[in-house]
Amino acid sequence: MTETNHEPGMKEYIAIWVGLLCIVGIETFLTTLQLSTHKLLVALLLLAFVEAGIALLYFMHLKYEKPNLFWSLVPAVIFVLFMMNHIWPDAYRMLNLRVPIQ
Amino acid sequence: MSESEITLDAGHAAALEPSPYAVQSKKLTMWLFIISDTVTFGAILFGYAYLRIGTPNWSAPFHFSPNIVNGLIMTFVLLSSSLTMLAADAAAKQGRKSSCLQWLGATVVLGIVFATLHLREWSHMFEEGWSLSTNPLGGSVQFGATFFSITGLHLMHVISGIIALIVIAIGYNTDWLDAGHVETTGLYWHFVDLVWMFVFPLLYLMNVAR
Repeated sequence: MTETNHEPGMKEYIAIWVGLLCIVGIETFLTTLQLSTHKLLVALLLLAFVEAGIALLYFMHLKYEKPNLFWSLVPAVIFVLFMMNHIWPDAYRMLNLRVPIQ
Repeated sequence: MSESEITLDAGHAAALEPSPYAVQSKKLTMWLFIISDTVTFGAILFGYAYLRIGTPNWSAPFHFSPNIVNGLIMTFVLLSSSLTMLAADAAAKQGRKSSCLQWLGATVVLGIVFATLHLREWSHMFEEGWSLSTNPLGGSVQFGATFFSITGLHLMHVISGIIALIVIAIGYNTDWLDAGHVETTGLYWHFVDLVWMFVFPLLYLMNVAR
């Protein structure tokens, strides 16, 4: 993140677009492997965050804005999304308390 | 009047302070909207994941063909529309009006293609018996409830974006709006694309029948 305003040209954007399509391809390939639901979810989420980061920095030009904008917006969102993770233990509790389905 | 005679009260002086973000107010407003919308989508996706984990008889009804293939085509179309939006933004900044309008038109067309593919998919699912409260496979109804809610909210964003792009194109063509408006609308469009990067793997790829 810099304060310079040298945004990428269309060639760079096309390269990023191809990269994003490749990540989607990897996600789809992972789905064809017989991974456990937990492993697949973690892998897909990691790749989705990489994709989102690339889109945010390059397509939405956040990399080329003043650092103030990044630091005012992004950490607060990450904090909120992180705090939402507290629901997981309850989801597993709900699963384990269920009467087994015949 | 000499320079020393110019006085401003506190309210006016504040208006002369340099912006800490160095962006137009409309762009900053869009960023604030995007942040709030990120939390909205984050919350509903977390809610979906909660139900996905906590529901033992969850139905995973999708097959590689036609569901995932259709989802891949939709992803390709939406990602490509981000590229055309970037081209429109670049053309607007360089003052190439006709080029900007052409790229905005291409973005609108791709957005309409995405929405059409989405509605066609919904139509097939309705025919199979899926709805917000029914599951033709006999399992939990939560899949239909979360799938249609989340993709519906995203589709509403896409349709809103298409309308916004048309308004921006008309305004830019008539000099009512400027390149800053094109850029700001582009931010929204890229955000819609960004949300899809989570919706596709979580709602489509995680629900492939095994």
